[in-house]
Amino acid sequence: MLSHATAQDWLIPYADGMLSNEERQRIDGHVASCPGCREELKSVRLLNLLLVSLPPAPPVAFAPFWLRLQAALPAARVPKEKARFRLYRRAGLAFAAAAFATLTAVSCAFAAESSLPDSPLYPLKHAEEAARLALTPAPQRGRVQLSIASERLREAQVMASSGKPALAVKSVRAFRLMLPSIVAGLKQESDARVAKDEVHALDVELTGVQEANATRGDDDAELKQLVLSSKDELDSSREVGQPLIVPTVPTASPSATPSVTPRSTPRPTPRPTKRPDPKPSDD
Amino acid sequence: MGTTEPESPGEIDAEERRLIDRSAAGDQEAFRQLVLRHYRLVLNVAFRAVGEVSAAEDIAQEVFVKVHRALPGYRHDKPFTHWLHRVAANAVTDAVRKKKPVLSLDALDTLPLAGGADPQDVAARHDLQRAVRDAIAALPPHYRDTVALQVFAELSYDEIAHALDIPLGTVMSRLNAAKRILREQLRAVLDNGDEANTA
Repeated sequence: MLSHATAQDWLIPYADGMLSNEERQRIDGHVASCPGCREELKSVRLLNLLLVSLPPAPPVAFAPFWLRLQAALPAARVPKEKARFRLYRRAGLAFAAAAFATLTAVSCAFAAESSLPDSPLYPLKHAEEAARLALTPAPQRGRVQLSIASERLREAQVMASSGKPALAVKSVRAFRLMLPSIVAGLKQESDARVAKDEVHALDVELTGVQEANATRGDDDAELKQLVLSSKDELDSSREVGQPLIVPTVPTASPSATPSVTPRSTPRPTPRPTKRPDPKPSDD
Repeated sequence: MGTTEPESPGEIDAEERRLIDRSAAGDQEAFRQLVLRHYRLVLNVAFRAVGEVSAAEDIAQEVFVKVHRALPGYRHDKPFTHWLHRVAANAVTDAVRKKKPVLSLDALDTLPLAGGADPQDVAARHDLQRAVRDAIAALPPHYRDTVALQVFAELSYDEIAHALDIPLGTVMSRLNAAKRILREQLRAVLDNGDEANTA
């Protein structure tokens, strides 16, 4: 005979049809004589009825379901060979990205290098020039300085032509700040012709600024004055520099290689030669 | 891209195994066919759990994304559908848990267990179904999983045992305990239904 407690434990699997025939018969026997279990079995069956009342989903089309799922899935896994190729491709992409970044940086640098005082990149240009100057070895620094000074005059000319005399003035002032060291450098130039050409080139550029300022009806007086004083300073260096810039002196070397003084001195001092000069001097 | 219909259970298993292996290897077409075979089942489970088509679709999508992710680790040591049911049951129970069910027994007093097409009856049935879902959602997690597989996925005790990797006796005891709780939670509507039946 099944106990009441065991029968109660078995009522739910009984209602779910999970008991063997023998077990079912034992429950049937108990329920027939137990009003409490009969009531409880009724309640369990009602609950099952309630639980199975939940309907299945209405029809859902597969195509949109799959399309949406496909979009949510991670990229298709690929065989090892392809994975390796993808690795290379990634490396290539990384390289391309790096190259692009470098190119962009270089482009910016170039853009900055050619920028004018009215450009937002102009401060970069000054930073780049300062860095270039600092990184240049001392013997070549004069050349860099000259190119920077020349660039200031180019800017001034363009600004003057564009009706921006204030910016042109700034550029010429910057040029003037550099002028003393440029002059000093030119004085040390071993090749007199080179030094002379440099001075002449700067003078031409100053004239360019002057003309650009003058071609406008409202030429800027301050700019005009600055250009003139710069020219004077250059001229004075030329006057003083004339004897300072050492011409090449032919040596008595049999190879006829012109001997060059290692540095400019107030007076040219030909190197003493061991051999007598094949061409005696006039005196 | 049509699928060839397998004829015997053996062929079904072999074909399904092939689709699973190819899907695990990254073949999306194979996975598409696998989803096509089982999406109705997963949608039904999800819909029974949440009662809204869009929410059910969301759950089904989530189930298949999880399946796709876990396929490489699937070892064919149990039927795919059992494994799928387990994933679905987890997703469903997560979804119903997040819904924070609010069960109002007072509102169940006049709910019919079955009804016609009358708008009031339809609305009442919807409320009743929501009450059942909410009651299931409020169950302790291990009971909820078991009940979800029986009620939403319509699995037998044996299938639940396989899906959850638990002994049959444990399924019985869990369902027993869970249904006792459900009976208490849904007491009002059960009594009402009982009266309706005896009237």
